[in-house]
Amino acid sequence: MNYTSLFGYLLGEVVLTAAAFVILIADVMCHRKDDVGARNQRMAWWTLTGLFLAAVVYAIQFAQGNANFADGTLVINPLNLFFKEVILVITAITVFFSMEEPVSKHVGEYYAMILFAAIGMAFLVTSENLLMIFVSIELLSLSLYALVGFQKQILRSAEGAMKYFAFGAVSAAFLLFGLSYIYGATNSLSLPAIAETFKGDPLMARSPVLLIGILFTLVGFGFKIAVVPFHLWAPDAYEGAAAPVAGFVASGSKVASFVALTKFLLLGVAPAAGAATISFPFTPHFTPGWAPVIALMAFISMVWGNLAAITQTNLKRLLAYSSVAHAGYILVALFGAKAWGQTAIYFYIIVYALTNLGAFGVVTALANKVGGDDIRCFAGVWRRAPGLTVLMMIFMLSLAGIPPLAGFFGKFYLFAAGLAADQMQLGYLWLVITAILMSAVSFYYYLQVLRVFYVNPASRGGPISICPCQRWPMTVIALIIFLIGWYPTALLDWIQGFLQRV
Amino acid sequence: MMTEPMIAGLWTDTVSFFGVHAVAVVLLKIAVVLFALLGLVSYTVLAERRISAFIQDRLGPNRVGWFGLLQPVADSFKFLLKENVMPAHVNRIYYVLAPCIALAPALLTFIVIPFGNTLAGEPMVIANLNVGVLWMFSIASLGVYGIVLGGWASNSKYPFLGGIRSSAQMISYEISMGLSLIPVFMHVGSLNLTEIVNAQSHRWLFLHPNLFLAFLIFMISSFAETNRLPFDLPESEQELVGGYHTEYGSMKFALFFLAEYANMITASALMVTLFFGGWQVPFALPESLSHPVTWLAPFVFQPVGFVYILSFFLKMLLFLGVFIWIRWTLPRFRYDQLMNLGWKVFLPMALANVFVMGIWMALSV
Amino acid sequence: MNLLFYIFSGLMLLCAALVVANRHPVTSAMLLILVFFFMAGLFVLLEAFFLAVIQVLVYAGAVMVLFLFVMMLLDIRSSQIRRQNAPAMLAGLSVGFAFWVEFWLILRHSALPVGAPMNFDAGIRPIGKLLFSEFVLPFEITSLLLLAALVGVVLLSQKETR
Repeated sequence: MNYTSLFGYLLGEVVLTAAAFVILIADVMCHRKDDVGARNQRMAWWTLTGLFLAAVVYAIQFAQGNANFADGTLVINPLNLFFKEVILVITAITVFFSMEEPVSKHVGEYYAMILFAAIGMAFLVTSENLLMIFVSIELLSLSLYALVGFQKQILRSAEGAMKYFAFGAVSAAFLLFGLSYIYGATNSLSLPAIAETFKGDPLMARSPVLLIGILFTLVGFGFKIAVVPFHLWAPDAYEGAAAPVAGFVASGSKVASFVALTKFLLLGVAPAAGAATISFPFTPHFTPGWAPVIALMAFISMVWGNLAAITQTNLKRLLAYSSVAHAGYILVALFGAKAWGQTAIYFYIIVYALTNLGAFGVVTALANKVGGDDIRCFAGVWRRAPGLTVLMMIFMLSLAGIPPLAGFFGKFYLFAAGLAADQMQLGYLWLVITAILMSAVSFYYYLQVLRVFYVNPASRGGPISICPCQRWPMTVIALIIFLIGWYPTALLDWIQGFLQRV
Repeated sequence: MMTEPMIAGLWTDTVSFFGVHAVAVVLLKIAVVLFALLGLVSYTVLAERRISAFIQDRLGPNRVGWFGLLQPVADSFKFLLKENVMPAHVNRIYYVLAPCIALAPALLTFIVIPFGNTLAGEPMVIANLNVGVLWMFSIASLGVYGIVLGGWASNSKYPFLGGIRSSAQMISYEISMGLSLIPVFMHVGSLNLTEIVNAQSHRWLFLHPNLFLAFLIFMISSFAETNRLPFDLPESEQELVGGYHTEYGSMKFALFFLAEYANMITASALMVTLFFGGWQVPFALPESLSHPVTWLAPFVFQPVGFVYILSFFLKMLLFLGVFIWIRWTLPRFRYDQLMNLGWKVFLPMALANVFVMGIWMALSV
Repeated sequence: MNLLFYIFSGLMLLCAALVVANRHPVTSAMLLILVFFFMAGLFVLLEAFFLAVIQVLVYAGAVMVLFLFVMMLLDIRSSQIRRQNAPAMLAGLSVGFAFWVEFWLILRHSALPVGAPMNFDAGIRPIGKLLFSEFVLPFEITSLLLLAALVGVVLLSQKETR
């Protein structure tokens, strides 16, 4: 492959990069003297233009067929392109959310950082190469650290960014160390090539060096997807960040990281899974590999995330802990058969990201007008912003997993995949049961939020006007969640179709 | 465990790896270069004083020896015999360490510079490294620690400001300095200084328009790197009372002083090597010089080897003269001007130069 | 050459341990510089001279200068250095020790995979060629990463004038 064709395959990311440069330069050169609000809107439209153009490029690439550049550093196939489109949509919605009110007066930098993060995510979902995974995770993380710390006049923002950064730096070290061990054990960087080495060497799956590598890599990924015990940054970062940014961290970054993690485990080192089954009657069977680690992380995340969420008084922190719990649910499906597990994870991560984004959208739209993002501030908002409250109900119920919303089917597929993992013995039943029980626990705090929104005595104040730039994206998200809930097979068939064309 | 046979093994390893003869020759070369360098340093100081006196219409030191030629000897005795004062408020370890750290890199950088062609079959370079120029940069970049630590360990206002200024300044100019040399490497295709000199046998590199720009950027940046006027902000006497070495006296001060002039000499030598043909002579030499001379058996050498060394030496002296001349001609920059010049003028210029050089090469292939 | 490997890596580990154990930030930084030097020495033993020089140039010559710069500006006096928290230290040490034991057990029970020695020329030319062919994408993304870091740092460290 020569540079010209490589450039063609990279055109989408090139467009995004160019948009980021244009924004950085235009903001400094042309709009320095304008009013911050006007600048904010203009830059947002520039960003949206870039995102739209990139989306068009990806759409065209769908028709062009697959490509693989240099050991999987760039893999173009329908699945990856689909996830790139998802990321563009999430980014665009984030931009819409930030349109009404600038997060800080450094408008150009804000949107440029969002674009940089989007580029990192795009590369993360499109590569099957350890080096690329590391570099794009770093690009993504660095942009997000800065985004979280953007509100410089707020102390919590700095605190959140600092914690996020400190955890991120340490976990990046673990990730790189782990990746280097995997490279040392298998002598290759690309995931398919790593999978090949297992075929040649039957002892490879038990190679201690490889297992250490995988363990360390999982620490790095655990930070990105915020599972216990690597979740400690999440509540503070979500609380400190501006609401649109928090939504972006909770959705876009999660999608990209989960896609990369799934590929890494199921495409690259699947034979080194080991086992973490507990068959009936209580006969645990744990063998070395990534399965015990993932099972443990999933178990603690589900339990701790849900229990900790109950006690939260701040809506953003509550969403942070709920995201920890959801990361736990998703991990359960990793044990499923390759095709099923992948489908279930991809399905759920899209649904979850959209729902979460919507919930943070509601926080964005309301927080400033009700005087904060503590849950009690939202008391009786029903009377002041009825439409938005209905949307919030849809998001919360979908997160809780109530039929017929998309979240229910997402969880259903996840747990089905978990059950299918060890069909004869039902070895992963213990995880599925935990997940179902903990989902039931989660009803409590999701409904608690809704109770505050609907039932609690109203705060004073007239109707709240919502900017169309927030109302419409949220409505669209709610509609999508509803539609997926009615026709879950539509999205499922899509994903399965893409998976077959990989 | 480090046992006796293992150490012996290390020694035989080393000897068989390099060869006994080679070790002896290298040691000899190191000794000669080191002495020449230190001697040159002290006479550069004298030259500086005499030239500055000439520029300012004074006489300068002319009492010790003929025309003051023994002044450096007197100076060195003065430094050695002075009381070694250590102020009470300093951080003792780093206060002593700083001058050593400043001097060591300044002397180490010279080992990759080819100061002549060959003499008695030996290449006139201590270490012919393939990463020659990078070695110089990496070692030279350590010199800043001496200054920064000296400023910090003195635990006093002016030295601290000097140390802070110098670290910012040296890092800023290192970038444009390094970037300015990339066209040279593109042209020659090697980082090895000997190969760079050999590539100039027909045309010295500064005659190439791109490389002339590279030379200008490199020269001005090296003024900043060596903390010389017009960029001597780390030690500006009028503002900082001498900057990072305010609190130093006697031999420790002398080490800083030696480091500064050694850096100057290395910078001159590097400019000669990279852009002005190194030891090459711009005209044809008489054939008779190439006849081997055998009167110093067992060494057989050609007189032309000495001519090349002399040529290198004279060119280097010329650049040292420029260093001194500029110091006493130009006023000091302001700090923001210095930073602007480094980041907003030289850095883009050096980058553009790399780009233009690439286009030039693509077109001329 | 084997002995040199043990000398370099032993000193490197010693200095690295001292970096952590030392309470004085400037001393820690200086020890870290030594760590980089010994690492460069290891690269030299592998005949990767370019990497060795770059290691010194970038880490010892540039990154650590900036570290020192920041430390000096912060001016942490020894009296202000936080007292050691005994339970935290104990917990950290025990976790570290557990980790060490685990590593030791694992590595003891397994032969490190010995691949065919790669006949790789770690000179500048092959590295440059690799960076612009096989690894061109990570290389370019790294430039984006640095830009993002630059913008972020300038933004976060800038004083708000309003």
